[in-house]
Amino acid sequence: MIVPMKKAILFALKSDRDSLLMALQQCGEMMIIPAQNAGEPFGKDQVEQEVQRVKGMLGVIKRYQGKQSLFAVRPEVDYAQFLTENPQTKQLEQEVENIASQLSSQQTQEAALRSQMEQYAPWLLLDIPVDQLRPTKYAVFHTGYGATSALQAIEAAAQENGAHVQVLGSGSEGQAILLTCHRDYEDAMMDAVKAQGFTPAALPNVDGLISDAYKSCEEKLSEISKSEETLIQRLSELAKRKQELEMLYDQYKVKSERMSVSFTETQETFYLEGWVRSDRMDKVQKAVAKVTDAYDLTFYDPQEGENPPTVTKNNRFISQFETITDMFSRPEPGGIDPNPVMGPWYWIIFGLMMGDAGYGLMMLVLIGAFIKLKKPRGEFGKLVNVLFLSSFTTILWGVLFGSYFGETWHPILFVPLDNPVQMLVFCLVIGVLHIFSGMILKMYDDIRQGHFWDAIFDQLSWMVLITGLGLLFLPATQKAGAVMAIAGAVVILFTAGRSNKNIFGKMTGGLLGLYNITSYMSDILSYSRILALSLATGVVGMVMNLLAGMVQGSIIGFILSLLIYIVGHVFNLAMGLLSAYVHDSRLQYIEFFNKFYDGGGTPFVPLSINTEHVDVVSSPAEK
Amino acid sequence: MTTGTVIAICGAALCATLAGIGSACGVQLGGKAAAGVVAENPNMFGKLLVLQALPGTQGIYGFLTAIIIIVRMGLLGGTPVEVSVAQGWALFGAAMPIGIVGLLSAIYQGKTAVASIHMTAKQPDSSAKGITMTAMVETYAILALLVSILLVFGIQL
Repeated sequence: MIVPMKKAILFALKSDRDSLLMALQQCGEMMIIPAQNAGEPFGKDQVEQEVQRVKGMLGVIKRYQGKQSLFAVRPEVDYAQFLTENPQTKQLEQEVENIASQLSSQQTQEAALRSQMEQYAPWLLLDIPVDQLRPTKYAVFHTGYGATSALQAIEAAAQENGAHVQVLGSGSEGQAILLTCHRDYEDAMMDAVKAQGFTPAALPNVDGLISDAYKSCEEKLSEISKSEETLIQRLSELAKRKQELEMLYDQYKVKSERMSVSFTETQETFYLEGWVRSDRMDKVQKAVAKVTDAYDLTFYDPQEGENPPTVTKNNRFISQFETITDMFSRPEPGGIDPNPVMGPWYWIIFGLMMGDAGYGLMMLVLIGAFIKLKKPRGEFGKLVNVLFLSSFTTILWGVLFGSYFGETWHPILFVPLDNPVQMLVFCLVIGVLHIFSGMILKMYDDIRQGHFWDAIFDQLSWMVLITGLGLLFLPATQKAGAVMAIAGAVVILFTAGRSNKNIFGKMTGGLLGLYNITSYMSDILSYSRILALSLATGVVGMVMNLLAGMVQGSIIGFILSLLIYIVGHVFNLAMGLLSAYVHDSRLQYIEFFNKFYDGGGTPFVPLSINTEHVDVVSSPAEK
Repeated sequence: MTTGTVIAICGAALCATLAGIGSACGVQLGGKAAAGVVAENPNMFGKLLVLQALPGTQGIYGFLTAIIIIVRMGLLGGTPVEVSVAQGWALFGAAMPIGIVGLLSAIYQGKTAVASIHMTAKQPDSSAKGITMTAMVETYAILALLVSILLVFGIQL
């Protein structure tokens, strides 16, 4: 059911503002409505910057942490402890930040050195210091590159013109070449070698030998990498204290959420509006009263035009399935909550789609262990619970159809693989019941709103027609079926166009209404996917057993077959779960919801202690 | 081995091949888009993996139909059934719906998955809507699979 919401309005003194906000955040029951035309909250930017900084540092530290235990449990922190910021953690953050900035500056240096060394590399063989390679009275020097393939031609051209050619190392631009020749032949020689593909290039700008400069670069590089190593070592030491940093992050995050609340205020007082669940008003009242006497807190019913958030309250079983509806769209505050009907259907259809006792047992054990060890929470936690609950229906249908890891053993109902048509009819009947339950909900909603005749003409008539068509298939009920089908069709023919004004519109409206039979048929046929999916799970499992059976015979074969059993069935289980989740959801969203449900509600997000890494528990004194 | 057996084997091989090619294409499309999004936001991996895996089911359907045909013909252990030419063609035809629809629907589903992955990248909360939209395409592959399975079981051998 949908919990009615109340609008809370709080007046209090500005001096109590921070402690009131903290109390409200701790109680976590009020969704604050942002004040209109209020200024930017004071101090919010600074805290948000802190949040971003710690997040960045966590990212740095995560790169250097060792292997993480798969079964790490979230630490629990006392509320009082959560409020105090540990100065040592701040130091830790500072140190990580320093190291990170040092590391990044060293990385830039390293890159610069490496590109320099790349420039030097082709000229390492040059045994003349660069500054001494100047033209003399008779001789001139030219340096440059030539492609390796053109090297011989360049050499020949240079020698023809009386130059001395020295081929040095190779680099990205080609082979480095030093040409020495007599001043008088310089122009002719240069023209000749350029024609052969020689590109003049200046030497790197260094003092002394290039190989010396190269060596000093190398030394610097090794120094940097050494200091980098010590820095990284220090970081991986600090990474052991990651939890402290994570807590600091959560502290800042909670603080920043609190600081982002905006107010309407006067000189001495402030004014705050928010949504509260009508069954939790006293909690908010208590939280406020604990802080101060100087307040005025009133609860109002939502006014026309206001849009309160939606909270659904169901028993523990149904509430797990709320996540499926919420992923589609939350119910509107005044609408009906589909979960009490949708949940059981989702549960049953999921089991039918998997339909294998062995896989159900695997789900029960594996997902059960996952819940026990990792304690997933929030929407994801609910989804995991849905899968866990569905393992029971999977086992149930598996036993009824006698399917155990794809093998057939003592079926109670029938074997889908041997009687696919029987199974198809069974799935379609399930589909009709599913759709009918949605239509009954629509009737309930219509009658509740005073549209009694809409419920009869638009829903009941169709249900009679569809039931009649179904009964036509059984010889014993053929007559009754025909009567029902015709009665339903006649009602639809005469009433579907009733909203049209003129008689012509009413007639065409009736015919068009009857044409809707195609949409009902396609909805019902859509449930044939249950058969397809349950066959897919069963047959792929059977194939795995067949494959494993074929390799058995020796000890190695036996081990191999074990491997096939494990890998094959786990794969099949994973694919089956994915398909069942997706197609079960689809049946709810498309076939079931379109009969009565629109959604359109907004989520209830109260101001609360919303942490990512630690769990805050209230101190024993407060309990 | 009779001509009928050969024709039936061709049908089984073709339906597994076509549907497999389709799924490979579809999953590949989804994977490329998902990898791009995960490069920006590694936390999205789990959500996007589901979307990427969706076009993969057609390959399984094709494989499934092929196996059922092979089992019905008694080729996997047991004594092979004598298949006449007419029966062979019947099995061949029965394999075609999931083969052809599987091939095309997996590719189209892959394209829808890409669009849904892009949507999820922009609005992480709407991944369920993207999954539903992508799963709509698969309906026709499931219908084709049903026709194939019912036909394969219906043919008298």
